[in-house]
Amino acid sequence: MSTTVKDRVLRDRATRGTLFATGRWGGSAWGFLGLLVFLIVLAQATLVVQARPQDLITGAHGMADILRRAMPPDFSKLPDELWPALETVDIAFFGTTAAVLLAVPLAILSAHNTTPARPLYAAARSLIALCRAVPDLVWALLFVTAVGLGPFPGALAVSVHSIGMLGRLFAEVIEDMDMGPVEALTTTGANRLQVFSHAVVPSVLPSLLGIALYRLDENIRSSLVLGFVGAGGLGFELLTAMNLFQYRTVSLLLLLTFAIVILTERMSAALRRHIA
Amino acid sequence: MTRVSNGAPSVALPGALIEADGLGMRYGTGRLALDGANLSVAAGELLVILGHNGCGKSTLLKCIAGLLRPTAGRVLVAGRDITSLSGRSLSEARMAMAMVFQQARLVGRRSVLANVQCGTLGRHRTVASAVGVLPRTEQPLAMACLEEVGLADFAAQRAGTLSGGQAQRASIARALAQRPAALLADEPVASLDPEASEEVMRLLRRISAEDGLGVICVLHQPALARRYADRILGMRQGRVMFDAAPAGIADDRMQALYEGVANDGAMHAGVVHTGAVQASAAQGGMAYGGQVTHGVTT
Repeated sequence: MSTTVKDRVLRDRATRGTLFATGRWGGSAWGFLGLLVFLIVLAQATLVVQARPQDLITGAHGMADILRRAMPPDFSKLPDELWPALETVDIAFFGTTAAVLLAVPLAILSAHNTTPARPLYAAARSLIALCRAVPDLVWALLFVTAVGLGPFPGALAVSVHSIGMLGRLFAEVIEDMDMGPVEALTTTGANRLQVFSHAVVPSVLPSLLGIALYRLDENIRSSLVLGFVGAGGLGFELLTAMNLFQYRTVSLLLLLTFAIVILTERMSAALRRHIA
Repeated sequence: MTRVSNGAPSVALPGALIEADGLGMRYGTGRLALDGANLSVAAGELLVILGHNGCGKSTLLKCIAGLLRPTAGRVLVAGRDITSLSGRSLSEARMAMAMVFQQARLVGRRSVLANVQCGTLGRHRTVASAVGVLPRTEQPLAMACLEEVGLADFAAQRAGTLSGGQAQRASIARALAQRPAALLADEPVASLDPEASEEVMRLLRRISAEDGLGVICVLHQPALARRYADRILGMRQGRVMFDAAPAGIADDRMQALYEGVANDGAMHAGVVHTGAVQASAAQGGMAYGGQVTHGVTT
């Protein structure tokens, strides 16, 4: 019967469809190919990074030696390191605050539902992308060259990179916003500023604050690293102590770093929970 | 099929609050969404607009609200032609009409009272109001509006915690805080359960009867329209098919609004309408002492 032949063809097509397109791993043949590609890429990566696990074993002695020389941490240096610790925290705080202040207007321009004009949208998007694409360490190198050593270039670097990160996330929050209240307030006769401050701001503020707090948390970690290129704070102290082989100072600085990071993480998480 | 008011000049009632006169709307795509529609609402009157999806109900409402400029005809609000207005005078004319939508459109994180107070912003052009401070002097009015919709106990609660029906009533309170002469409601019960729908319709009815507002309400349920409307305006493909008191509209004319319209919206209405019309016949029969003819049961 022609119908049964047709049925079989249709059934075959359906089976092939599940094999190649809708299966969990996209069909066994494609899954196998994917695995093969992954293994090839992994093999080349292993060669390129010159991974030599045996070095870890032969180097264990050296690491144990450093650990021995780093113990106990030199707590007598603690008073000298408090100022750099404050610098590290303040680089992040200042940088994040400045970034938030600049990212909010940029995000409004670069969200398609709030942008006043197409060219401004494109310009704001590109500026945000540029800030984000260049890592903060590279920004720090540039700013150290421009304004000299110290915490200020660090704060600038944190700020510029954060504008890129925050600008994009803020714009996404604004774009995902429920436009209902905005339209409703517009029809009540409220003007643009009133609609913005009474409908847009209360809807997005908690999300923006949460994102900004998370960014502060990230920035404290990155401001530690920025010291390595001369942008002040604990990172700079760490680099100096390493170069002078003062391992007991290094361990103190690491403890201090650990304490600051854990503390700020906890605080920002608690604050974010409170806001949500 | 008889056309009642289509093409005929509208009767200018002495007390007409809102009048639409021969409204036509042709969109840029060439589609004619409104074709010579007439409408009038007096203060204290509840007019329900019925019709299939895409029949022009919402377009009509938007033209009246001054959100769309019709391509033909004119809209008079308290005797003043608003179709020729623009800019500041248009937004002032708009403020005489408050809108309620299918969704309550409240700011979920603010208190119910703050949301209602937002309805008064149009009257306040202060710097404080532009930076997010609500006019404190309007708080008693906002509270009175909440009392009117039966939500006074919820004033301090976040608007996001309200149920669908409560939120819709809060949005009506916000519309009242605007102190409008007319209330325009675009499918206000479309996403509510039957009980909440009844409550919202009762409220709209009370607002028109007791506060003397002219209320225009776009609905999808002939049954609700029969029970709450002073007048029902039936639309089909951009034209007004009838405009009469519920008792004067036979069920087959109501059903004819939804029949054989070639779009998916009409298909949807076609699936729904038999049940809806039966229900309306039953309910209408109860409400109007059996004046309605039960002629269309399948």
